[in-house]
Amino acid sequence: MPAEPAKIPDADLLHAIARNDEAALSACYDRYRLILFGLILRILHDREEAEDCLQEVFLQVWRRSRDFDESRGRAFTWLVTIARSRALDRLRASGSRLRLATEAAQVPRDEVGDAAEEAVQSEQGAVVRRALAELPEEQRRTLLLAYFEGLTQTEIAARLGDPLGTVKTRTRSGMMKLRELLQGKLRE
Amino acid sequence: MEHQEYQERLALHALDALDAEEARALEDHLQACAQCRAELIELRDAAGLLAHASTPAAPGSEVRARILANSHAERQPASAAQVIAMPRRATKLWPNLIRLAAGVAFVALLVGVIVFWRRDVKSRQEIAQLSRQVNTQQHELVRDRDVLARQREALALLNSPNAKKMELTAGQTAQNARGTFVYDQKTGRAILMAEGLPATPADKAYELWFIPKGHSPMAGRMFTIDASGHAMLPEQMPAEAMENAVIAITLEPKKGSAVPTGAIYLTSPSS
Ligand SMILES: [Zn+2]
Repeated sequence: MPAEPAKIPDADLLHAIARNDEAALSACYDRYRLILFGLILRILHDREEAEDCLQEVFLQVWRRSRDFDESRGRAFTWLVTIARSRALDRLRASGSRLRLATEAAQVPRDEVGDAAEEAVQSEQGAVVRRALAELPEEQRRTLLLAYFEGLTQTEIAARLGDPLGTVKTRTRSGMMKLRELLQGKLRE
Repeated sequence: MEHQEYQERLALHALDALDAEEARALEDHLQACAQCRAELIELRDAAGLLAHASTPAAPGSEVRARILANSHAERQPASAAQVIAMPRRATKLWPNLIRLAAGVAFVALLVGVIVFWRRDVKSRQEIAQLSRQVNTQQHELVRDRDVLARQREALALLNSPNAKKMELTAGQTAQNARGTFVYDQKTGRAILMAEGLPATPADKAYELWFIPKGHSPMAGRMFTIDASGHAMLPEQMPAEAMENAVIAITLEPKKGSAVPTGAIYLTSPSS
């Protein structure tokens, strides 16, 4: 593998975008398109809609990157929060919740991305999946329902037929455990 | 409620899983409690990592071109462009000034239309090609802030899940004219895009009509075209026209008509 070019930290990338730096926007896109598109596709289950959503996400990144504030969380968190919110908005608006997830399986890969970066991301993905695997099944399911389907605790309780108090406890325990498992492992 | 109880809700809040009432109460507490604020940041960072639980997937390669074309279009500084203000109409229904966009905005918008209705597009290369074209043109041409606002609004509309598109075809008068009328079926926000319309005489302008089934025609906005024969016009659908109306464009005296009197230049198919 060729020597990895000095990586611009995510936060600096967002600051550059805030200064209208188009190259920074495209670098940000290349760095995060796989993970963000994967996230959006998992929420929407519709490739075409997910692509439109991804476009909307990056336009929001372009317009709002000056709102990003390092003291209020990681740049990665800022990006995925936008992607998740936009995708959940669409899910709620369009009822695409009902669509089948068939397309997601046949996603063609193209070669625009940054291979070194993708390796880092899949490594991070592995760390997160391992951490999730350590959680008890009910905790994991609750976290994933909240995160990918945008359900509230009340909706989760209704969906699973569990008491609300149980759902709250599980979600909380799951999040605490996850934070503990991931702490220090995923610094930029 | 005590800090302790709020603190226990932070994990749920980090996932946006609190019910609305509880979320509001917690937000109030966060204003006053630095400790909870700090903990929420950590929890949100952890929650954000759940994105990694999804399988990475590659978007189509033209998405990149779309994003870069749009972001490039938006950063252009405001400056003079061919924007024509039309006189205010007497009727209260359509009180806003009518302005027309420069041709480049039309092209950019056309890309938007094509992109958002990809069913209409034969190949992805075509989109990439159009995006590049817009990019180049935007390097060369200055833009107006109003045009940008218009374009943003149009893109938002085109992106709405409730958007409905109508193709407008030429009447006998202007064979080369064509147009697209898009509206939001919930809010009635609409936009007309037309091209190939003949230049208007000084005392005339085009007028948009809504003809709901079983109704007489309702007047929409007046407009003229730019030098390249393009028009891009924001509209508001009258409630009566939201279902099953025909859209038509006629040439009328510049002050506007209450009923269509001139020849039909563009029309949607009658249903
Ligand atoms: Zn507190």
